[in-house]
Amino acid sequence: MAEDLIELLLGIDPDDPVGLLRRQRPEALRHAEGAFRELLLPAEAGRLSHAERAALALRIAVAERSEPLVRAFRVLLERAGGAALAERAEAPGITGEDRFAALLRYADKAGLRPNEVSAADIAALSGLGLGPREIVALTQLVSFVPYQVRLIAGLRAVQQTQAKR
Amino acid sequence: MTRFTLAPVGWRPRVPPVKAETATPDQLAALEACPPAQRRSTYFLTLANDPGSLGERGALFTTVMYAEGGLDRAERELATTIVSMVNGCEFCTSVHARRFVELTGDEAAMQRILDHGWAEEPDPRRAAICRFAAALTRDPSAIGGADLAPLRAVGLTDLELLDLIHGIAMFANANRLMLSLGDALPP
Repeated sequence: MAEDLIELLLGIDPDDPVGLLRRQRPEALRHAEGAFRELLLPAEAGRLSHAERAALALRIAVAERSEPLVRAFRVLLERAGGAALAERAEAPGITGEDRFAALLRYADKAGLRPNEVSAADIAALSGLGLGPREIVALTQLVSFVPYQVRLIAGLRAVQQTQAKR
Repeated sequence: MTRFTLAPVGWRPRVPPVKAETATPDQLAALEACPPAQRRSTYFLTLANDPGSLGERGALFTTVMYAEGGLDRAERELATTIVSMVNGCEFCTSVHARRFVELTGDEAAMQRILDHGWAEEPDPRRAAICRFAAALTRDPSAIGGADLAPLRAVGLTDLELLDLIHGIAMFANANRLMLSLGDALPP
């Protein structure tokens, strides 16, 4: 697939200065896109649906104030049929005691305050019926959005300085 | 910041790692994408529980830290050490601080950073790298073109800047994985 999420969100073409710069690190470009697809749209989602994945990614993007990623994950969530999760994903607190509330609670800790994650938090995920694969996938997901956030923020800054030259 | 150390810190997973002997072909292929020296570590075997994400993320990590040219490898280790300190990841800090010392031989400089932070870093290029690493880690939404000026002033090229951004972003990821999926075991 030729389309690259980061480029789409930065609004650049592959032959723009930042696009050309990124192509000096083709593996980084390819595998950032690959990790995004494996985490948000995996062929085998297991017990963590595409809608839940998009909702949790959206939550981290909102907390990190990354407008481009917020827009992208809203679209993914809608496409996955999870629009009903959007409001709770984007709300500052957590309401309810259901499965989604537990997922949000873990996403907030691992994605925003990872120093606070304890063995009990991981045990709580097992209690939801998530196995090692889903626990690792969930942690990868809420840890990967912060990568995207900082890459986009950094590339934006590069874009601004290049435009001025 | 005195809890950061150059001594090896252990790590105990909270999720059972995959066993190399019983790993599936998918899991083994994903491990192959990780840096050769570390692909049988407990950490990567833990991540191998989800081979799809490890294969891509492991390959991303490898290129970000080891791709030829661009930002000096020791400077990548310096930046990722600073990110790990900001995020409070003792394990990652000790690993990447040691790599910096191995590559530069400058243990005194790293020990000073671990003990006292980087506000007084005397080397202007290192100081600029440390400050940007901390800023992009703490509040990416506040970063703009002006934040790159100190890096350009000490001579970073566009490719070096890209490598630096990749390294900082990678450790937003790595620190979260390490802190969430296991316990650091101080020396």
